[in-house]
Amino acid sequence: MAAVAHTEHAHGDHPPVANQSSRVDARLLGIYLFIGSEIMLFGSFFTAYFFARVVVGAQAGDAWPPEPYHLPVFLALLNTIILVTSSFSMHWALQSIKRNNRQGLIAGLTLTFLLGLTFLLIQAREYTRIGFAPQDLAFSSTFFGLTGLHGAHVFVGLNLLAYALVRSVRGHYGPKAHDHLGVEIPGIYWHFVDVMWIVVYVTVYVL
Amino acid sequence: MIELHEHHEPEAAHHAPPGKPRGLRRLTAAGWLRVSWVAPLAFGLATGLVYGARAAMGLHPYWEFPVLIVAWTVIVPLAFLIAIGGFDYWFYWISGRPTRPEDHSGHGARSWKDYFRINTDHKVIGVQYVVTTFAFFVIAGLLAVFMRAELARPGMQFVDNNQFNGLFSEHATLMIFLFVIPAFAGLGNFVIPLMIGAPDMAFPRLNALSYWLLPVAGLMFLSAYLVPDGGAFAAGWTNYVPLAVEQPDGNLFFQMGVQWAGASSIMTALNFLVTIITMRAPGMTFWRMPLLVWANFATSTLVVVATPFVAGSQFFIMFDRVLHTNFFDFNQGGYAVGYQHIFWFYSHPAVYIMMLPGFGIISEVLAVFARKPIFGYRLMALSLMAILVLGFSVWAHHMFVAGMGPWLRIPMMATTLLIAVPTGIKVFSWLATLWEGRIHFKTPMLWAVGFISMFVIGGLSGIFLGAVPIDQHASDTYYIVAHIHYVLFGGSVFTIFAGVYHWFPKMTGRMYNERLGKLHFWTTFVAFNVTFFPMHWVGLRGMPRRVSDYDPVFGDWNMVMSIASFALGASTLIFLYNMIASWRSGPIAPANPWRALTLEWQVSSPPPIFNFDEIPQVVGSPYEYGVRGARHAVFNGSRAEVHEPEKVGH
Repeated sequence: MAAVAHTEHAHGDHPPVANQSSRVDARLLGIYLFIGSEIMLFGSFFTAYFFARVVVGAQAGDAWPPEPYHLPVFLALLNTIILVTSSFSMHWALQSIKRNNRQGLIAGLTLTFLLGLTFLLIQAREYTRIGFAPQDLAFSSTFFGLTGLHGAHVFVGLNLLAYALVRSVRGHYGPKAHDHLGVEIPGIYWHFVDVMWIVVYVTVYVL
Repeated sequence: MIELHEHHEPEAAHHAPPGKPRGLRRLTAAGWLRVSWVAPLAFGLATGLVYGARAAMGLHPYWEFPVLIVAWTVIVPLAFLIAIGGFDYWFYWISGRPTRPEDHSGHGARSWKDYFRINTDHKVIGVQYVVTTFAFFVIAGLLAVFMRAELARPGMQFVDNNQFNGLFSEHATLMIFLFVIPAFAGLGNFVIPLMIGAPDMAFPRLNALSYWLLPVAGLMFLSAYLVPDGGAFAAGWTNYVPLAVEQPDGNLFFQMGVQWAGASSIMTALNFLVTIITMRAPGMTFWRMPLLVWANFATSTLVVVATPFVAGSQFFIMFDRVLHTNFFDFNQGGYAVGYQHIFWFYSHPAVYIMMLPGFGIISEVLAVFARKPIFGYRLMALSLMAILVLGFSVWAHHMFVAGMGPWLRIPMMATTLLIAVPTGIKVFSWLATLWEGRIHFKTPMLWAVGFISMFVIGGLSGIFLGAVPIDQHASDTYYIVAHIHYVLFGGSVFTIFAGVYHWFPKMTGRMYNERLGKLHFWTTFVAFNVTFFPMHWVGLRGMPRRVSDYDPVFGDWNMVMSIASFALGASTLIFLYNMIASWRSGPIAPANPWRALTLEWQVSSPPPIFNFDEIPQVVGSPYEYGVRGARHAVFNGSRAEVHEPEKVGH
């Protein structure tokens, strides 16, 4: 940011306004960095998966998933489509409020929330029907570890969406950039959840 | 027309602090009174939850201790943080009600009580951090003294094997997670916003929360001693599997404590990064930042990227213990050495997290007390970045003898030796900074120069250990203990002392006693070397580490080291007395006792509540000592300029 022409003064019992030395909004930078750390957390779970599948599994020469287990690849694909759609609806919601379209914001957030909830419920149902438990093998431990970690993040994301939805209904957001951070930040988190699912899906179900 | 952002209540201008709550409202107001009933309630709730859930699912036994411990260590700290007020603002936000605007009445510290509550002032948080971490330094140091008491003579005198294992495990855990890492966070918290000309950190409420996670984590680690069966965690701070999975339940306190300490660390690092990137004073480009800011920038990046891996490593142990999963059980397809890879992928960068801020502190202290610009400022900054990047490529040098695939050893050896290059650049630059400087050996300078020599010794033993053949002989011996302590005590702790003495006047508004400071340094320096240097020798001769007893041939040296370690412990008392007595009744400190150029010294000691009356304009480098007419920053309003004050005399 270019240096300001004059410096900000304090008012006795307020701090002086800090200089903005970057074009990036502090709170957006904060959520991006936090997502960076969450990506690394997933990285540790992917590492455990790599050890179980490649280092141990490949050495043994067994099939993956090990006999007699199977993964519901098609259903997970449907779930992937659901989650990707929810990212689009989230984007629509954010674009709506940027154009001062409150109805679009509320509709988009609601749709995103419902799609995300559907994803989570389908996942939960699959957990009960999948035919193996976390205690069985390293394969199942890493499977439930990765998908479970992701599910926990979806749960947090649903919470954030719910808070944003309540505030949207009450009219707390507006078209100016600093007036809809409460939508944008949950949106960024939700996109991270979506992209991470694609990585989890491809790694665990497809490859 | 309703304001469409944050939706604050109509702002009352310049109002007085809200009145203290009366009657029953005192019990529901944020603070320790609320903690006193919420925390036990949460404890009961957690217990009931586990019992009820297990009963409902038909899982016998209902009182499953590991599950209870996990529930307690998650729910009770959370309840504590909520009760003390760490989440008040966010609960308002979640509820959809109008959030309360910050009226800043709670900002800063006017009495000692302000240090014991949620306080969003980075200066208060910095002091909270430093005091808390030194409390844990004393506790962890006492554990070390107990160890040395046991090791003074061959044979078992005071503790049994398991208790001894618990001693070294707790000692390292507390020193790493509750002293070195957060002490740098605390010093940085106090100094960095001032140094970059900002009124506070980017996220003050997050800052307060990240401090309060620390006593939580510390109490959690210490609570392991309360576990009746088998006692404290005793698998080392490294907590390798399969031992960690088979250990008594006290191990769970380590696993969860790491999560809380890690969360604290990550939150602080996020705060530092955003603050440094977005809140620098006008004119402070990255190349005009003091090196302490660069160092914390690099460290914070390390923390954000690496810490989640140690969280993951402890999650896997917890899952294997409590849920009986098989991440590490080879019979079920798990990979035990995988734990070490995941653990060390954090823990090697962790040692840089424990050192880089110290490098920054030393750069500040050397420039000020040698009255010279830092030699090679740009390369100093770039070498920090190089260490940051290379630090991720060396983790398996902790695993040369772990039984991992042999092909990994030579590459890891190469990267390990390579990382000596940027470190060496820094050491030589510091020496060049001292060259032909006007050196003033005040206490901070003693610690800084002492650091350089001790850290080089530790670095040299590190180079030896980086070579695979030598490590195969020296691994798990006292040679490693010597190396660790030269880089962590002679390295990190010396820089923490340097920083505390250096910024003591700024933080407390008082001068510490210089003679006691020098006495502290010299007693520590001598005792430290007598304690740890012989460890190189006994280690190479074959004394293993992490043992409560040893071959009698090592007895004499162990007696020497133990006596020296008692002296080392005693020397810390000098420091504690100096700090407490000086803070209470030391001479009042001027704004700039060291005639330094950086921005924190251009405000009063202690600084005004909002740091600056006006944000300064930075116009030059922060290290132009001895350069006539050089300016670091100007304050437009008062026409006061930040440049080296003329010293009367010489």
